[in-house]
Amino acid sequence: MKITKYLFISIFFLNLSALVAQIDGAAKLNKNFPAPNLTIAPAIGLNPWPMSDLVVSNLVQWDIKKRLSLVSYTAYTYNNVFLRNFNYIKTNYNYSLSQKVGVGTALYSKRASHSFSLLGGIKYNSFKETLENPEFEKVSASVSSLSPDFGCMYHLQVGKKKYFFSYRMYIPLYPYPVQHLDITAIDGNIANVSLEFGLGIRLK
Amino acid sequence: MFLSFFDLEYTSPLYRQLRQINKKYYNKMKELIPLLLVLLIASCQKEDFSAELTEGFSIESTSSGAIYPIKVALPENYNPETQTYATIYLLDGEDNFDFVAENCKKISHDLSTSNVLVVSIGYGNDRVDDYTPTKAQEGGGGAEKFMQFIENELIPRIESEYAVDTLRSSRAILGHSFGGLLAAYAFTNHNTVFGNYLMLSPSIWYDNEIMLRLEQENRAINSNNHQLVFLGLGQLENQGRMLAPFEAFYQRLLNNYPGIAIQRNLEANLEHMGSKNPNILKGLNFYFKSR
Repeated sequence: MKITKYLFISIFFLNLSALVAQIDGAAKLNKNFPAPNLTIAPAIGLNPWPMSDLVVSNLVQWDIKKRLSLVSYTAYTYNNVFLRNFNYIKTNYNYSLSQKVGVGTALYSKRASHSFSLLGGIKYNSFKETLENPEFEKVSASVSSLSPDFGCMYHLQVGKKKYFFSYRMYIPLYPYPVQHLDITAIDGNIANVSLEFGLGIRLK
Repeated sequence: MFLSFFDLEYTSPLYRQLRQINKKYYNKMKELIPLLLVLLIASCQKEDFSAELTEGFSIESTSSGAIYPIKVALPENYNPETQTYATIYLLDGEDNFDFVAENCKKISHDLSTSNVLVVSIGYGNDRVDDYTPTKAQEGGGGAEKFMQFIENELIPRIESEYAVDTLRSSRAILGHSFGGLLAAYAFTNHNTVFGNYLMLSPSIWYDNEIMLRLEQENRAINSNNHQLVFLGLGQLENQGRMLAPFEAFYQRLLNNYPGIAIQRNLEANLEHMGSKNPNILKGLNFYFKSR
C-alpha cells in the first residue's frame, strides 16, 4: 500500500514537471538545449530547519537528451553544528552519508537550466551522545542506521560556459510524510530538506 | 533501459490524462493542480474516533485555576452494571485522542482482552508550563500543580462517574515529549497514582536532567512498587539532547526497580514527531499484553 503511495507521488511529480516543460514550448527547448553534456557540481549547504546541519555534496549530471538527465548525488552531512554541548550532554559525533542516483527532466533558457529529478539510494546515519553531568553517572549512547533515501531535487544551473553556478534543493520523501494518518509527522521530512550552493564544471 | 522507463512514464494513464486536459483546458488545469494537492493531503487526514462512544466535559482546576477540556472514549459494549475498566490518561489529548482511542479498540480486539477508557486531558494552560517540573528557560514548572489536579480532581471525578477500576495498577498515563517528561514526573513524584507509564520521547534533558535527580531522591519509596514502563524514542532524534538522558533514565529504571516490567524502543529511521505514533502503537501493545 505504501509503495503505491510512493509510486503515485513519484509519477505525479514527474508528470507535472514534464507537463510544465511541454508548456514552455518545444521550439524554445530545442533552441537552448546544449549538446549532451556531463557536469560535476560540488556544493555546500544547510538543512534549513533548524538551520544547523552543514551539507557538503557533489552532483554529477549527464544530460543525455533534451528532457532526460541521469544524476548521481553524494552528500556528507555534519549534523547539529551549533548544539554539541547542551545541558551537560556532549555530542561525540553526529553525521550522515548519502548516495543516490536518479533520473530527471529539464527546462532550458538562454543562460540557465532548471532540472527536476527523482532520486533514490541509501543513507547512513551515525551519532553518539554522552551525558557528563557531574551530579550523575556518565552514560553514553550511540545509534548507527542505514535507511532508504529517496526524494525530489530541483537543480538550477546558471551559465552556459565551462564553469557555472549551481543551486539545488532536495526534498526527501522518505520516511513518507504522513505517518500513521497523523499529518504532524511531516517534520521528519521538513527537517531534512537541504539547500545547497556551489560551482559546477562542464566536463564535455 | 532508461529511455524505455522514460517512455513508460510518458505513456502512463495519468500522463495521458494530464496531456489531454492540457491541450484544451490548460487554464483550467492550472486551477486543478492546487485542488489535486489539497485532495492528496486531505486523503491523508486522520480519522475521528466514534462520536457515539465519546463523552466530554470541562473541569476547572482548583490547583492551577485553568479549565481543562476532558474527553472520554468508552469501550464498545461499555456496560457499567457488570464490568469495570482500566483507564489511560492521555496528555496532549487534543492531538492524540482519536489515534489512541481507535488503537486501544483495535489492539484490545486483536488480543481478545478488555478495552480501557481513554481519558484525554486537553489544554487548560500552556503545555510547557503544565508539563515541566521546575521553572527553567524552556518551561514554567507547573507540573506539581497539574499532577495535583489529575490526582485530586480529575481521577476522583472519572472514578465516580464511570465504571472504572480504582486500583493504581489499573491506571496508566501516556505522554509524548514534554508530555513524556510529565509522565516521568508522575513516576518519580506521584508513584502511588499510576501503575503504568508510557513515556514517548521524554524530555529528560530538561533543566540539566532534573528528572534524574528526582528519580534518585524518590527511588527508596518507589522501587518496591510494581511498575509497567514503556520508553520510546525515534532512532533519528539526533538534536544533541534526547538519546543520552533517555538511556540514563532507562538504565536506572532497569537496574534499580526489581518490580518493574520495562520495554525500550528506538523507532527506526524516525525523528521526534515521526516516531510518536509508531511508539504509541508499540507502547499500547506492550501495555495490553503485560498489564
